Amino acid sequence: MENISGSEMPSRAASARPPEQLSFSGRGAEYFGIWIVNLLLTIVTLGIYSAWAKVRRLKYFYRHTELAGSSFDFHGSPTRILIGRVIALVMLLAYNYSVRLQSRMTLVVLLALALVMPWLLRNSFRFRLYNTSWRGTRFHFRGSVGGSYRVFLLNGFLTLITLYVMAPFTHQRLKAYQHDNSWFGRTQCSFHARAGQFYLIYLLLLAALVGFFFVMGAAGVGHVLVMFAQMQKQGGHVDPNLVFRTLFIVYGVLILMSLLIGPVFHALVTNLIWSNTRVGEHRIVCNMSPLAMIWITVSNFVLVVLTLGLFIPWAAVRLAKFQLESVRLIPASDLQEFEAAEPEAIGAVGEEAATVFDFDISL
Amino acid sequence: MVCAHYFDGRSTRVREVNLSIAGADLVIAGEGIDLRVPFADVAVDERLGRAPRRLRLKDGTFCEVRDLDALDALLSSTAHRDGRVDRMQRHLQFVIFACVACVVLAGAAYKWGLPWAAALAAHRLPPAIDKTLSQQTLKLLDGAILLPSKIAADRQRTLSAEFRALRLPEGGTPDSDLLFRRSPRFGANAFTLPDGTIILLDDLITTLGDDRQCLAVLAHELGHVHGRDGLQMLLRSSAVGAFLTFYIGDISALLAAAPAAVLEAKYSQDLEQQADDYGAALLLHNGMSPALLAEALNKLAVAHSGPPSGYLSSHPSTDERMRHLRWLAAAAK
Repeated sequence: MENISGSEMPSRAASARPPEQLSFSGRGAEYFGIWIVNLLLTIVTLGIYSAWAKVRRLKYFYRHTELAGSSFDFHGSPTRILIGRVIALVMLLAYNYSVRLQSRMTLVVLLALALVMPWLLRNSFRFRLYNTSWRGTRFHFRGSVGGSYRVFLLNGFLTLITLYVMAPFTHQRLKAYQHDNSWFGRTQCSFHARAGQFYLIYLLLLAALVGFFFVMGAAGVGHVLVMFAQMQKQGGHVDPNLVFRTLFIVYGVLILMSLLIGPVFHALVTNLIWSNTRVGEHRIVCNMSPLAMIWITVSNFVLVVLTLGLFIPWAAVRLAKFQLESVRLIPASDLQEFEAAEPEAIGAVGEEAATVFDFDISL
Repeated sequence: MVCAHYFDGRSTRVREVNLSIAGADLVIAGEGIDLRVPFADVAVDERLGRAPRRLRLKDGTFCEVRDLDALDALLSSTAHRDGRVDRMQRHLQFVIFACVACVVLAGAAYKWGLPWAAALAAHRLPPAIDKTLSQQTLKLLDGAILLPSKIAADRQRTLSAEFRALRLPEGGTPDSDLLFRRSPRFGANAFTLPDGTIILLDDLITTLGDDRQCLAVLAHELGHVHGRDGLQMLLRSSAVGAFLTFYIGDISALLAAAPAAVLEAKYSQDLEQQADDYGAALLLHNGMSPALLAEALNKLAVAHSGPPSGYLSSHPSTDERMRHLRWLAAAAK
């Protein structure tokens, strides 16, 4: 029985409303039970249960996330997720084998995948948001198909041909496409970060990466080349010491890189994105500390390795708690005034039909 | 009596209500609300940790309850029963059982299930897959790591002819291509591509110096051809990779890749053992002794500078293999 927070104030006149921090009340030991049962049922059913497991996992995290005394909820249907996963698997196999077995078909398959991807990703955004609710009001994604092709194909292509010089710009366009087209009920969200701010963070990342490559040195590069040679030799006789050394150097450097640079980049970009997103007139502030992010990533990593994965539920809970609790909502008015979109309107947009695909992409 | 928040599904307005049970009905009473609905029409959210639970009515409205103990007391007077998975997740005994079961099942799947499934699939996939895969591998290797052979042409012809004349235990003669190449990097070695093409390196021929021992090594490679081991390895590593990504992918994709590589190296050992057995059977079938292969292995082990460590090696320890082959040779007498 918690007290109801400030949003309950009946007076509408109050102008300075206290910020509402997101809070996460999940606990590792509790989530462990859910996680291990999910794992067991997934193994026993040869992966089919994984869709139900995913729903249960998301519900656990959504429902333990609270804003102004009310929790979020996830409504996705496991069968839809299962269908989405089967389709994703088929696409993944098509991609892998067409890349491996180069023939005239390879180009056709890759082209088909590239053409269908933006449409699928847009549908996955719709699925995710439509199935998320707070106080019984659902989120919606109303981005156009054309917008999705512009972001993923046009901007993606520009990024490639400019050798990633355009990457920060594309990132900004993607987030603008996502957040400008997100709705909470009848309230539209908006995105205000400029491309220049993304460039600044990416330049920082670049500087850190260049520093790391010096650390890695020529020896590491040499080993990578040898490893590539060995990868061509399917099932052949491999010099074990070479494999070991390669693994040691390459993974060591990559892991170190992902443990140190990754979290800092993630924290900076997430702060930028969320602090520049508004829900109607309500502002959001996100101040994730990069150092704390490094600490959580490194300690999670070490403990997951030492426990052969048993620490995963605790790691997931810690990470979620840290990330969610760094987000605050600055209400511009009473949080009781959001209105849900009319159910008819949802039907007309065909939200349900679009929910066949569920892709988990962390962009 | 249970305190709850009532939401009408049309706005984010919070209404404080009290829930109670009257007969077969759920009564919701509070700020301007006085509802009485048959409990049979109420869907109760499953329990997930200490998260608030919702009682959903048919018209899309719902009550959010955070006092879970009070809710349990309320539900106990109704026909509601917790779901099976819900109970599993909360029982310590079952959670411990699930841990053990996961380890046992994953271990069994890795040790028996996967090799079985990979062998089954490898023998059923169209040979066209192997063909393209191998041609591409060869194209990549040739010029980069593999150089043209320096073995005299007539020596190559003799070896090829002897190889072609081998009679396979299952009948017929080998229809694999035998290619001669030289590779400073791989030294004294031979390997088989997924479509059965065998590549024999110069250093192996010169190190062994004896055609019959070369044939013994080729017999071992024919074992790989017979088992379609190249394709099997590919299938196995894909499956292991997929599982590890599922298992730890949430935390780090990179973390999933490292153990996959180790498991894979460990994995091919049983295929090597099988190829040895096939090679021994083939040698016996052609009136030769499996000891020839043991002899060849011995020479190769001496020729290789660093002794392969038992742990990361794709081959079981050479001593072990030689012992096994000599035992097969003795048993055949």
